[in-house]
Amino acid sequence: MILKLAFNGLKKKQRDYLILFTGLIISIAVFYMFLTMSLNKEFILQNSVINNIQAVFLVGTVMLSIITFFYLFYTNSFLLSLRKKEYGLYELIGAKKFQIRRVFQIETMAITAISLAIGLMLGIILARLVSWLLMNSLNVEFTQFKIVYLPAVFWTMAYFLTASFITSTVHNTRLAKSSIIELLHSDMHNDGIPAEPKGSALQILLGIFFLGIGYSALYFMEQLRFIGLFTAPAATTLGTYLLFTALLPNIVRNWKRNKRANFKGLHSFTSGQLNFRLSSLKWVLATIAMLIALSAGAIAGGFAFKNNAFTSIDEYWQYDATLYNPGAAETAVLNSIPVDEQLTFRMKLDDEFMYLVQEELNASPPLIRDFVTYEVVRPDPLPEKLDIVDGSQIISDQWFTALYAINPALEGTKSTRIVPLEEYELAEGEEISILLARTDDFSAYIGEWQKLDELQLDVYTDLFTGFDPKTDSVATKYSQFKAQYAIASGTFFMGFFLGLAFLTMMASILMFKILSGASNDIRRYDSLRKLGVRRRLLENSIYREILVVFLFPGILGLLHVFVGMRMFTFIMDDPYYRLWVSILIFLAIYGGYYFFAVHLYRKIVLPRQ
Amino acid sequence: MKTILEASNISKTYGKKGTAAYTAIRDLSFSMNEGEFIGIMGPSGSGKTTLLNMVATLDPMTSGEITIDGISVSAMNEDQLSDFRSQNLGFIFQDFNLLENMTVFENIALPLSLRNTKLEKIQAGVHQVSAILGIGDLLEKYPAELSGGQKQRTAIARSLIHEPTLLLADEPTGALDSQNAATLLDTLADLNAERKVSILMVTHDPRSASYCSRLLFIKDGKLDRELFPAGTREEFHQEILAVLGDLDRRPVAGVRI
Ligand SMILES: Nc1ncnc2c1ncn2[C@@H]1O[C@H](COP(=O)(O)OP(=O)(O)OP(=O)(O)O)[C@@H](O)[C@H]1O
Ligand SMILES: [Mg+2]
Repeated sequence: MILKLAFNGLKKKQRDYLILFTGLIISIAVFYMFLTMSLNKEFILQNSVINNIQAVFLVGTVMLSIITFFYLFYTNSFLLSLRKKEYGLYELIGAKKFQIRRVFQIETMAITAISLAIGLMLGIILARLVSWLLMNSLNVEFTQFKIVYLPAVFWTMAYFLTASFITSTVHNTRLAKSSIIELLHSDMHNDGIPAEPKGSALQILLGIFFLGIGYSALYFMEQLRFIGLFTAPAATTLGTYLLFTALLPNIVRNWKRNKRANFKGLHSFTSGQLNFRLSSLKWVLATIAMLIALSAGAIAGGFAFKNNAFTSIDEYWQYDATLYNPGAAETAVLNSIPVDEQLTFRMKLDDEFMYLVQEELNASPPLIRDFVTYEVVRPDPLPEKLDIVDGSQIISDQWFTALYAINPALEGTKSTRIVPLEEYELAEGEEISILLARTDDFSAYIGEWQKLDELQLDVYTDLFTGFDPKTDSVATKYSQFKAQYAIASGTFFMGFFLGLAFLTMMASILMFKILSGASNDIRRYDSLRKLGVRRRLLENSIYREILVVFLFPGILGLLHVFVGMRMFTFIMDDPYYRLWVSILIFLAIYGGYYFFAVHLYRKIVLPRQ
Repeated sequence: MKTILEASNISKTYGKKGTAAYTAIRDLSFSMNEGEFIGIMGPSGSGKTTLLNMVATLDPMTSGEITIDGISVSAMNEDQLSDFRSQNLGFIFQDFNLLENMTVFENIALPLSLRNTKLEKIQAGVHQVSAILGIGDLLEKYPAELSGGQKQRTAIARSLIHEPTLLLADEPTGALDSQNAATLLDTLADLNAERKVSILMVTHDPRSASYCSRLLFIKDGKLDRELFPAGTREEFHQEILAVLGDLDRRPVAGVRI
């Protein structure tokens, strides 16, 4: 009986539930996708650089599960507040407390189960999509990859069911403690009249102060290191809450001071709505500002990281290709692209030494990055006579670097001897020629570098005894790029979907908060209509009101991201690279939510035309 | 004397075609002169609110015509109706319909704000009308902080500030105790007498009705009879009670279609 009643009550609040649980569904889908990517055998078996992607997605899973837990906790308490009055009524007609608690728990678990079913299906689609995108961007074939991966299904279900069981149990004890009267009157309290803010100036100053500390910590992260890593998030969060809770109620108050603007058209109504809304939503909005920072930061971070694969590879490799004994095929490939510089060196190998020609080196010293000054230079000419200490020739640090650039595969395996040409001619051993080629844009000819690397495999097998192309590899700019790019692409997708999940969660909280109050507003809009306010004017007021609600957390959240991205200078060359693309993506999604919220709200409060 | 409201042969049928239709107002005609204080009475379900809503242009009529101040309302579109309401009509609703998120001042000022009146004029207007209604010291409060009577007076102030041609009130005393109701009706009667505000008021309460200058009794959607005050208010009150008793005793003549 009670169950049936509860089911009916659930149906009545369908819309609220749907909004709240889109966040959960997206989170489940992304969670499953992350798990599939990090647990799937494909990456464990692939004996290549790609298996690092696993770790990236595992990090994503952990971050997502933490935030999701808070989200579940939050939504579950909304759920309870939605139903409180109804539970009070059941109790009034004789239901026992334990029955009601059971109903609540069953309801919560049922909703989680339904969300899981939908979310897992969506997750399978997502896993298909992301693995496909990864395959394409990395130019590899996943042969073992399963999009329906049972261990991932199992762990997703286990995590979400456990988490919702814990949160509903916590709220159940709260439900058990409240009396019938409390339950019955739970929806009676109208929006309280915003209290005259006291001491808010001090609070705003404190908020700005903490934000300043947080921002400085973000800015000087490189110097502060661990201290910064803890100070930045703590101070920024504290500052955000302090600032929002003190500032928001005051902002509208200040608008209202401008009477000339306030008593124009529907402005007094709009600002009245905002006055109440912002003071009741200030905590939620501060939370949302933080979630926005996280989500936009995750998207932007992933994006910058992907770009970093290109810029950082150029830091360490001045030459785009290093070819051993290049044949006709290699030359053909090189001829097909504009090469800025091309150097050739000869080398002889005997049992003990690698010989290089001093004249050749001095005639065309290769570009290197000096590790002290960090500039790209050509080493100074080698002196006539090179001393030998403990069996190795003494050369400058720059030449030391240059030798690695010339001979990345073998340098360090044998002692190097840089000798005059005559001496070189006399030396025994097989001669190898090495060609270094440089273009002005490595990233523009990825396909060519890949082809060259493939062509070189045969040469490697010939030259290096015991080289097996299936298991061994030679460090080239391209191969190293590919490894970095795989991780970066993984991070990019991880960041993007993590951001998406955060964004959906925060948008559903915001939308829920706006829409669950909308039924109270129906009467207000009806009164206005009766008083002769044109529909257009009412719609404008709605657009404006919800815009302001969306705007504040959006602005502060983005500001956090702008400052916060600097933190990544730690590991990236240019964390701000094309930040606007990520911002645009974020704005598009956020804007979509705004219009959707307006649409739903309008449908609730305005009569159909 | 100028006629400000003319309703001729108006009918209202609820229910869509095909479903069981119900005619709440049938072929009703009446007219109202400027400065009149008309009360509409009748049993529950007789169509009083329906009639008032049609005059208020909130509800379209099925047939017939209503002219207010020489303008026919049936030909107007939604925006024109909105403008018409905000220019010419003042409303007092049974449940006040104040906007709880705005102060008393802002509530009263709303009709003037909507017409983009100058701030100085708005302020002068609000102070004047709130002084008349005795709520001058409540202007910065929110409706939630007011008593029922104070809310109702705020609603009246809001309905009067733009000096409408016609004031429409649906059971304005419904939520008030007799003391507050008397004060309110005194106010309305004063406004009617001194500022020549035309008032059309629906009421159940015979005592409230005794303040009117004419009473229309409606039964089953039709005008049953008219009554004019003669003698004192108390005598009128007694007469109203007698008419109501008479209405109740007569067999129901309404027909369902
Ligand atoms: N929207 C509607 N749809 C269908 N029938 C309606 C509608 N509104 C009112 N009615 C019917 O029209 C008749 C008149 O209703 P109205 O609200 O005008 O009565 P009233 O005289 O104001 O009654 P009361 O004194 O109880 O307020 C009633 O029988 C009612 O059921
Ligand atoms: Mg009525």
